[in-house]
Amino acid sequence: MSKIVVVTSGKGGVGKTTTSASFAAGLALKGFKTVVIDFDVGLRNLDLIMGCERRVVYDFINVIHQEANLNQALIKDKQCEGLYVLAASQTRDKDALSQEGVERVLNDLAGMGFDYIVCDSPAGIEAGALMAMHYADEALVVTNPEVSSVRDSDRILGMLSSKTRRAIEGREAIKEHLLITRYNPNRVQEGQMLSLQDIQDILRIPLIGVIPESETVLQASNQGLPAVHMQGTEVSEAYKDVIERFLGQERPLRFVDAQKPSLLKRLFGR
Amino acid sequence: MSFELKSTHWPLLALALRSADTQRLMQDWQQRYGDAAGFFDQDALLLDFSALSDSEPALADLSALLALLRAAHLQPVAYRGGSAAVRQQAAAAGLARADDALDAVQALTASAASSAIEPTPTPAPERPAVGALLIDRPLRSGQQVYARGRDLIVTAMVNPGAEVVADGHIHIYAPLRGKAIAGACGDENACIFATCLEAELLSIAGTYRTSEVPLPPEVRSKAARVRLQRHNDAERLLIEAIA
Repeated sequence: MSKIVVVTSGKGGVGKTTTSASFAAGLALKGFKTVVIDFDVGLRNLDLIMGCERRVVYDFINVIHQEANLNQALIKDKQCEGLYVLAASQTRDKDALSQEGVERVLNDLAGMGFDYIVCDSPAGIEAGALMAMHYADEALVVTNPEVSSVRDSDRILGMLSSKTRRAIEGREAIKEHLLITRYNPNRVQEGQMLSLQDIQDILRIPLIGVIPESETVLQASNQGLPAVHMQGTEVSEAYKDVIERFLGQERPLRFVDAQKPSLLKRLFGR
Repeated sequence: MSFELKSTHWPLLALALRSADTQRLMQDWQQRYGDAAGFFDQDALLLDFSALSDSEPALADLSALLALLRAAHLQPVAYRGGSAAVRQQAAAAGLARADDALDAVQALTASAASSAIEPTPTPAPERPAVGALLIDRPLRSGQQVYARGRDLIVTAMVNPGAEVVADGHIHIYAPLRGKAIAGACGDENACIFATCLEAELLSIAGTYRTSEVPLPPEVRSKAARVRLQRHNDAERLLIEAIA
């Protein structure tokens, strides 16, 4: 029985695709057969982050329109066993996603024995985002510690509980997880960013992890490597914690406390 | 068995006629709701004739009145009271007899009957005695709830960007951070209660206050009650902490 997880946020640029890539890679590293689908038709990015852009021949839209089959369109990841990418089409727009088509592809993937299907949602609250969340069993809501991002995540949470298949059919609600990205404890302490407490006070869903703000993310995406593979970095460790918590393990929160500047820094400034 | 016949209760709006002059009623209606397209949403309507004289002859323009109401997105479905001629006319127009309808507006129509010579131009806002609308889930940004013709109770948070609207009172047993609009049809006695008042906007019967002016510290993030106060003909919102 495969599980469908949507990575969503409402707001753009908060780290949905970075998270989708690292989350899917992390699940695959744990031995689960995983596919990550780019729903951002027309603005495809996932293949760049995953470093497989040169191997995209057929995409998600081709499969929906039955111009190619899944075996032709699934791109096997080079870093980890059991991870596949289904790229978005760059030349089409969101209208090319039909609900029946998406459902058929998801069912076919389930039939191929995938444990997890990770849906990388586009920003916004329009057709593409609705389609990405529609069939989800669980949701990672990616939020930055700033007011507009929290507001947009709140809006998305409202849609998860009213516009998705589980909501419409009155089944058990989608399991929601809050993932805070680009968290900078020092800036929180200086009052320039919302704190974990502020965010949770508004959104009130369980926190699955906090990814610290870091240049590692930019380096990783430039290399076409999911950030979880950047061994020894805080970002990689934080994503690994997220995977463990998602799989039911307890992990203490890390990288959320402000660092006192060292004596030299205090003397000479930054 | 392919069907099941069950009894059910159904709140509906009542239009109390205070005069048999349907021409005038239609004029008054146009004046009040003529440009309020979208105000009604296919709401079921009861025509209440009980304030009219028992010897009233048939109404001159009942069909025109029904057409006007339907054009305003109301669904006249039943009638109550009226003279024999009027009742026959209403039944012929396809309205159901609803003399047993729960009487939420009796006091109103009774007072109207005593002053039937001088009908007021518009039906006063009514709050039928149906139970409050109870919402148990959080209302998040972009979500809206409207308790039409009744009170609203929300037991979970109302977040920034969400909107709670009621024709009656609004009770929020959690942080109220969105917009709250009580007395939406003009009831000046409506109140807003919240256990943690941090609203973006508070409005009662059209008098509002936004969070541009911060709430005073004695009520901000506290349990509070908001009501409309008349002061030298000016109206303002009075916000008091609840002990």
